Amino acid sequence: MSYARRTGRFLAAATGAAILLTACGTGEEKPAAKDSGSASSAPAADATVIHAHEQEPNSYNGFTAEEYSSQNHIVFNTRVLQDVWGYSTDGGVARNTEVATYEKVSDDPLTVKYTFNPKAVWSDGADLGCADVMLTWATGSGKFTDFSYISTEQWGLVELPDCKVGDKEITLKYKSPFVDWEALDVVTMPAHIVAEQGGLTVEEMVDAIKGGDKAKLKKAAEFYNKGWLFNGKLPDKKLMPASGPFIIDSYSPGQSITLARNEKYWGEPAKSAKVTIRFIPQDEQVQALQNGETNIIEPQSNPDIVAQLEGLNGVTVKTGDQFLYDHLDFNFNKGPFKDANLRKAFALCVPRQQIVDNLIKPQNPEAKTLDTRNVVGFQSQYADTVAFAGGDKWGTVDIEGAKKLLTDAGKSKLKVRIGYNQPNPRRTQVVELIKASCDQAGFDIVDTGSEKFFADGGDLANGNFDVALFGWAGSALNSGWTSTYHTVEKCTPSGKGNNKGCYSNKELDKVLEQILGETDPAKTIELVKQVEKTLWDDLATIPLYTQPALTAWSETVQNVVPNASQASVTWNMHEWSMQ
Amino acid sequence: MLAFIARRLAISSLVLLAATFIMFVLVALSGDPLGDLREQSTPQAQAQMAARIKALRLDVPIPVRYFGWLGDLFRGDLGVDKSGHAVSSQLALATTATMQLVIVATLLGAFIGITIGVVSALRQYSSFDHGITFAAFVCFSLPVFWVATMLKQYLAIEFNDWLRDPVIPLWVIGLVAVFAGLVWASIYKGRWKGKLTTFGIGFAVTAVVLYALSASHWFADPGLGFPFVLVVSLAAAAGASALIAGWENLQPMYAALASAGVGALLYYPLQQVLSDANLLSILGLALLTIVVSWALGHTLGGLLRRQAIPLAVFSGLLTGGLIFVDRILQAWHSYTVSVRNRPIATIGSETPNYSGDFWHVSLDSAMHLLLPTLALILIGLAGHSRYSRASMLEVMNQDYVRTARAKGLPERTVIVKHAFRNGMIPITTIVALDFAGVFSGAVVTEHVFGWRGLGAMFTKSLREVDPTPVMGCFLVAGAAIVIWNMIADIAYAYLDPRIRLS
Repeated sequence: MSYARRTGRFLAAATGAAILLTACGTGEEKPAAKDSGSASSAPAADATVIHAHEQEPNSYNGFTAEEYSSQNHIVFNTRVLQDVWGYSTDGGVARNTEVATYEKVSDDPLTVKYTFNPKAVWSDGADLGCADVMLTWATGSGKFTDFSYISTEQWGLVELPDCKVGDKEITLKYKSPFVDWEALDVVTMPAHIVAEQGGLTVEEMVDAIKGGDKAKLKKAAEFYNKGWLFNGKLPDKKLMPASGPFIIDSYSPGQSITLARNEKYWGEPAKSAKVTIRFIPQDEQVQALQNGETNIIEPQSNPDIVAQLEGLNGVTVKTGDQFLYDHLDFNFNKGPFKDANLRKAFALCVPRQQIVDNLIKPQNPEAKTLDTRNVVGFQSQYADTVAFAGGDKWGTVDIEGAKKLLTDAGKSKLKVRIGYNQPNPRRTQVVELIKASCDQAGFDIVDTGSEKFFADGGDLANGNFDVALFGWAGSALNSGWTSTYHTVEKCTPSGKGNNKGCYSNKELDKVLEQILGETDPAKTIELVKQVEKTLWDDLATIPLYTQPALTAWSETVQNVVPNASQASVTWNMHEWSMQ
Repeated sequence: MLAFIARRLAISSLVLLAATFIMFVLVALSGDPLGDLREQSTPQAQAQMAARIKALRLDVPIPVRYFGWLGDLFRGDLGVDKSGHAVSSQLALATTATMQLVIVATLLGAFIGITIGVVSALRQYSSFDHGITFAAFVCFSLPVFWVATMLKQYLAIEFNDWLRDPVIPLWVIGLVAVFAGLVWASIYKGRWKGKLTTFGIGFAVTAVVLYALSASHWFADPGLGFPFVLVVSLAAAAGASALIAGWENLQPMYAALASAGVGALLYYPLQQVLSDANLLSILGLALLTIVVSWALGHTLGGLLRRQAIPLAVFSGLLTGGLIFVDRILQAWHSYTVSVRNRPIATIGSETPNYSGDFWHVSLDSAMHLLLPTLALILIGLAGHSRYSRASMLEVMNQDYVRTARAKGLPERTVIVKHAFRNGMIPITTIVALDFAGVFSGAVVTEHVFGWRGLGAMFTKSLREVDPTPVMGCFLVAGAAIVIWNMIADIAYAYLDPRIRLS
């Protein structure tokens, strides 16, 4: 017998014997250590609700220009750092009366009185009120440029508040009226922490703000800008008191952040003792939900992901609209569409209904064409506005009508360049559908989508388009969009701002200015109706559809309510609970 | 030697320096760092753009930015990313995550791959060889994101579902047993009768084991138990000594068996020690095992100490490893309960806020490492097995191997001593470069399994056209490649006396 074969036999026999013996062995009693040892030391399954988000937060302070981003807001600026208002499910302003009540006490000058809940305190016990409002004024008014703050547009209009540390009633006076006065961020970051880190007492800091003493606040501003950055680990928890039902509990870089119930919270306590936000790439969220590693997901919608989710058991899938819509903008500066009749001809052949049917309905069966620009389908005034503005008239395609308008204008095979940002499969398909329809009417649609469409010196900035197809983030607030339709000073890449096609209507300009200064919501709605009517009459832009939103959660979690605004599903995380 | 190292390091750092410039410029030119903000219509976009222009210094030319970065680097500062976060802390976290994820996979992949490659070289053109070649190429051509999705679906989601009632259906047992029998039969070298017997044994053993595991609900509360530890460690000790030292030299075998036996007999006494273990005490035990095994090898090895000591240490550590696995499996049942009966994870490196004793936390890490490690091994297996097979075959056809056979050396000696050692020389380069590759991260695997390692950091920053973090990753990866390349060269000279370093 050869040596190799003998070894082989031995090995086979030994392995076989080992396996057989072991198979018998598994039936035997386990070692005694097992019972005494581990069973009690394992943590019990807890009732933490887990939400998945792709990006991880990187700063407790999401108000600086550097850190203003959804990854920070969805975690901290919903129920950890609460303000006097938040976004409601339809994206409007929902006042948070647990923090403060407020009312407009005068129209001229616009004056708003805030009355803070007398029980309102930061989670470290510090008083919440005047000092915090003073800090927000200092950061937001643009008077103290050492503080980085995302926008001075609104606070820049507010005069220096006159209140003392400890005051719970604060009156803000505007230099000029402002439409979104209800949505002013009043309480942003904890003033007592900023003061302490700036080497001041709260009183000293408030005095410095009142006295405009920039030098004294330099250190405080440094902390405000950089002191709350995560840098791979949480800053000292003492620096991060909460004003909402949750406080930060723990953070594991790259993995998750956990919020725990704020025991000092004076209002309705959070239902779940803990909420965890795990950082999971979008395309991996469905399987993580299926394997119970997350309970709520909010991925970007596409037909495959919707189908995949609908195939799962025990999962609720909710599709809907969100405040993001795509639209076609005409170029009023150069090209054929300076002519109103040609704009009309083009509008008649754009298959808006078909675009929604083919591209949006597979992800949101309820989807309809978007017939206004600044009001979205789920807002209560939508139907009225559409009827008033006449947006519903542009739903059906009229090839013959378009053809006639073109012939009357003496055009045939009119070349139209539609520009958009690539890669974007949905928008590419939109252009294909428009081409299929409009070429019949006598247009010659050319797809000029490019990767540099939005870039500096790209087609959009330089006006190298006849029609531009892109998206706007909408909002129930009105101060953000008026400049988009306002006559521009100069139609240059830097001068035209958001009015990419350099549309101009002097009459409309007046209405837009009126809106910015209108403080009565009911009147604002009427003014917006007029704007929409003018925009349709002039055919300034053609709105197409709102982008579909998608939220899915496991049925074991209660009270998950999607939110159309940028606040995301986390807006009511204090009401989530595990069954 | 020292001159060689100094020269190599000097030249390499110059190359690295030049590469950083090219890399920096390429990253800075790779896209529009303000792209995402330009598409935003929100009123805040202007302020955000201004902040980013300031942070990335977009207002100065790229070379000026580069020298700014380089200046910081020479002061020991890796800089900050576009939102003001220190790159060094990100890099530390990412490197740790990548090391955890990739090192085990690389080691296991190399070990399994080389073993398979050598066996298939020894059984060239057998059905085992053909089967392995086929499987290797299938694995080689699989995209990792697809493998990952399949692993998640079947090994995590459906396996976790199955664990609620872990009974293996009879037809599955049959199928697996037939497959196992075929594999064993294909390795066997000889007449069809022997092959048939091997098939029979392989089939029967697999079937019985699977049936026993299923019937006893082993998967619901798994463990190895003392008999398994004892038998397997003794068998492994005997097998390893037979392979390395041969039957004719019994001292090394005695040493190995003694070491394994002592280890296994300590099974019960150790349970108490292990019940409140931590990483330090485990490492201490491992060290103790090495010392005792070394002593055993030294005492029992006689004249063959040089073989006996490593064999004894190996057997001792293997036995310790088995006891470790057994102990960790004892935590399985309570662990499953604590993670809502879904032990195999699809995402991340830990269960959020998990706190338990050493065994539960280790099991939690293991369950999160399982799928990504499997994916990486499957993909990496092909390379190692092909290279080692080719290298082994080349050596087996050398004159000196024929000479060794001709002078009547046993086949084991020819293979282990003459062929295998020389066959492994080229493999060192590949394994060393593999380790260098560890430091560039596993881009796709990290993304799919939600690990924030070097690969994820690199791609994220590249997408955001933010050069500083990319340069951080690049420095780590570049330095790793330089150093491991050097190690490979030094190892080469050590293994192959024909090569001189100077």
